[in-house]
Amino acid sequence: MLKFKKGVVYLLFAIPVVTQLYPLLWLLFYSLKTNEEILDGRFFSLPNAPQWQNYKEAYEAGNYLKYLSNSVLVTGVTMICVILLSSMVAYAISRFRWKYGTVVMTVFLMGMMIPMQATLLPLMVIFKNVDILNTHLSLILPYIAFSTPIAVFILSGFMKGIPPEIEESAYIDGASIYRIFRSIIVPVSIPPMMTVCILTFITIWNEYILAATFISSERLKTLPFGVYTFVSQYSVNYGNIGAFLVMGALPVILIYFFLSGQITKGMVAGAVKG
Amino acid sequence: MKVLKVPAGTIAVFVLPCLLLYVCLVFVPILVSFYSGLLKWDGIANAEFIGLANFRDMFANDPVFWPSVRRTLLYALASMLEIPLCLWMAILLHRYLKNGSRLASIYFTPVILSVVIIGQLWKTIYNPTSMGGMLNGVLVSLGLDSWTHNWLTEPSIAMYSIYLVSLWQYFGYHLLIQYTGVTNIPEEIYEAAKIDGAEGFKADRFITMPLIVPIFKISIVLAFIGSLQAFDMVMVMTGGGPAHATDVISTHMYNSSFLSLKYGYGSAIATFLVAVCLLFTVVINFFFNKLENRYS
Amino acid sequence: MVRRAALKPLAVILAAVMALSLAACGNSGKSDTAATEKNNGAAVQGSSSDKKITITFQNIYPDPTTPSHKTLNELVKQYEADHPNIHIELDTLNTDQQKVKLKTQAASKEVPDITIVNPAAQMKPFVDAKLFAPLNDMLDQNGLKDTYQSGLLDYYSFDGNVYSLPDGNNIEVVYYNKELFEQAGIANTPTTYEEFLNTVKTLKAKGITPLAIGEKDSWTGSFLFMNILLRTNGGPGFLQDVMDGKKTFEDPAFIEAVDSFQELVQAGAFPDGATSIDANAGGNIFKSGKAAMWVIGSWETGAIDASSVAGKVGAFQFPTVNGKGDPDEFMLAPGSAFAISANSEHLQETKDFLNYFALNFPKKQFEFKNAVGLGQKVDGDLKAAGYSDLAIEVAELFNNVKGGDLAFDNTMNPATAQVHLSSIQNLFVQKVDSAQVAKEHQAAFEANKE
Repeated sequence: MLKFKKGVVYLLFAIPVVTQLYPLLWLLFYSLKTNEEILDGRFFSLPNAPQWQNYKEAYEAGNYLKYLSNSVLVTGVTMICVILLSSMVAYAISRFRWKYGTVVMTVFLMGMMIPMQATLLPLMVIFKNVDILNTHLSLILPYIAFSTPIAVFILSGFMKGIPPEIEESAYIDGASIYRIFRSIIVPVSIPPMMTVCILTFITIWNEYILAATFISSERLKTLPFGVYTFVSQYSVNYGNIGAFLVMGALPVILIYFFLSGQITKGMVAGAVKG
Repeated sequence: MKVLKVPAGTIAVFVLPCLLLYVCLVFVPILVSFYSGLLKWDGIANAEFIGLANFRDMFANDPVFWPSVRRTLLYALASMLEIPLCLWMAILLHRYLKNGSRLASIYFTPVILSVVIIGQLWKTIYNPTSMGGMLNGVLVSLGLDSWTHNWLTEPSIAMYSIYLVSLWQYFGYHLLIQYTGVTNIPEEIYEAAKIDGAEGFKADRFITMPLIVPIFKISIVLAFIGSLQAFDMVMVMTGGGPAHATDVISTHMYNSSFLSLKYGYGSAIATFLVAVCLLFTVVINFFFNKLENRYS
Repeated sequence: MVRRAALKPLAVILAAVMALSLAACGNSGKSDTAATEKNNGAAVQGSSSDKKITITFQNIYPDPTTPSHKTLNELVKQYEADHPNIHIELDTLNTDQQKVKLKTQAASKEVPDITIVNPAAQMKPFVDAKLFAPLNDMLDQNGLKDTYQSGLLDYYSFDGNVYSLPDGNNIEVVYYNKELFEQAGIANTPTTYEEFLNTVKTLKAKGITPLAIGEKDSWTGSFLFMNILLRTNGGPGFLQDVMDGKKTFEDPAFIEAVDSFQELVQAGAFPDGATSIDANAGGNIFKSGKAAMWVIGSWETGAIDASSVAGKVGAFQFPTVNGKGDPDEFMLAPGSAFAISANSEHLQETKDFLNYFALNFPKKQFEFKNAVGLGQKVDGDLKAAGYSDLAIEVAELFNNVKGGDLAFDNTMNPATAQVHLSSIQNLFVQKVDSAQVAKEHQAAFEANKE
């Protein structure tokens, strides 16, 4: 009986594995098929002969490396800034004794409710006036701004749960607050920071509306923009589209599997204890 | 615990850079957008202040608006109803597997894929029988021919098809959150309860549930806000069609602003969207605070 | 120290807020911030020829396999080689992205040096906002004006000024797959709507999708519907009459058109799930030989010749409907057009480039086998240049054109057009009372009248 129950539970675990991993496999097969095989419409089938030249063609037509390096730059700078800025705010909110802590927190939380599309036009006006349109800054700044609410939310939740005694004694011993922050708080907050990294990374890596609107120079464009244009317009060869999609998703998948051990540790670590 | 008394200057250094950036690039734009909601403006020239007329049109004269609100709220409801299921799975994962986090990470993968990929995939699943759609293919092979549908183009069904994709995509997201919450509950509590004779579902009812409430709340709020802003998914799958049958608030806002060139009107919809988000978040918070108080 | 480092970006941001509050009050039409120069500092000094100048060219030809993409890129490369001080920055987007981007840019008066707009009603808001430079002087240089077909530039002119230059001039035709027609035993192409419906039914009975369409992009269905309306109205000008107050949408001609269109839907003419197929994918149904007919603009001729059904395709005129209309009247589709920003920092250089570009555009298109539907006269014989039979057939249809109508969204304002588009899209998925459709149109028209 117990064994039977265990079997049912394992089956229950297995079903989502199939449904959730399937798209990756599907995409991989898709990218290796000929047009005829794809249009044939059979849902699950291995490619007859893997069409590796789909990748070659997509690589050549899609300006991949340029877009990739831009994406890495924009996403990288954004993530560093988000981590740094939001952990400082989170620390201030969870530890400092000051009047406006709750207000600041509320203001940040409200940000989660603001749809990015509604700010497109005002942002355009701002960026025109400070003259940073068509630079990477015009992506990095709003990306940071839109990522901070959830980051502050997660990090402050965690920091509230850190036992305050060490800091107190360090503070009494005369360590500066910057030092406490750098050498006590930051090291123990690595797990939630990883979570923030992953969440920020996913959103920004796939963002294309701002990217398409604020960037005009080919040499500055980012990967999701390239993927989107490629998919919706490059009508001749579906396999090429699939190959480009795989190449676009590859960095995210790699990073995710590299960091996924961390994400479970940090997701909401503090909220339970705090 | 607010323990550190620090000078105002230090607080400023910690808070202001982030806060100013955020206020200037998120808050000010949305305020400008609120103001635009009071204009009759095509977004290009000829702005004219018309007070609350856009809101009057929105509430009284727009045949697309209320149905899109209804669909959005249903969307939110569906996403929130998924969370108990995620919690249940998370509890099982924790109980039956030593390293459940690996599995939780696998469930998470659809979240990291771009919506373009997800859209392509699910379109091939939902395709009509004549184009070899998988779902219909399966139904036919089970002898259920009468159950086949054009999942994305029949107005009465299309929206539910999109809900399903979202539920599928965010299943892993909420499961992971719940799982982390469950694993963070100290083992000792369960052991103590075991001595008192509480095990299995009884332990879940009296230990896991109360302790998971804060995490549960996070999931609910995230699911709610996420589905209210659902945009990309609808755009990629149906573009809000056929004939607005799958329009949600955010796509209606976008189409009004940029296709119908009624930017002022679109901004009014954005105002409404933010207001609904705020209102419900307050309600959810209120509800959960009560719940937490009852348990503690 | 920490503080100072942190405060510097703050200054920038504060400046931003102030700038914004100015801008928010100032969307009254004039560009008061023209003094702000591009970060590209070299730009300022005017046109002395050794200064490096960058011209931004927003365009909608991202697919490298299309003739238009090749034409554009070759001409740009050639021009840069001839004018080493000029760099043309291509901002290549797909159609949807470009529409939204241009509208966003227009709101902040930040239109790129060269951009792309659609004719008539669709470009009017931009012209009204004085965002585009008049091109009359430039058209007179090198005889550019005379290369355009007579009357074509009228679609791009307001108050006697030409504001943009079209990339083509097309008509709506019915392409058909001869092989599939043969398979279904259809000998003749239909000339009346009754025959057309019968053709559809015969094909359907043979298991062949009669008409390809991608109705997720709702202009495709509207384009077809308007052709029916052109017939039931007995000739062009229905929408103009509505705008002039001479007719309403509840006119019998409009209701008849809706009914006829619904007959087509009821006959199963369109692929299943048409409203979730985007325009490109819809075209591919025909181009991959899976549908027998495709009602679309003649701009697809080149693409069909490059697809797997090349050589099997012919084209015919849209049939008469209930004995009304003249098959030699077509839905006219004057192409997307190149416009120059009125605030361009290098207005003269941009005009010079566009002049060169427009003069050489038809020649290049001709070379790339894309001369069908050109808006400009071009020397050369299609047959001698090795064009396909289809291209020659379509070109002959052009010779018969007696007149016609523009697409709905080129005639009515955007808000009305959106209601129309989704109302037609609705016909694909459910049977609707045609009087109701008419009423819906009329209400939208009146609500959005200027």
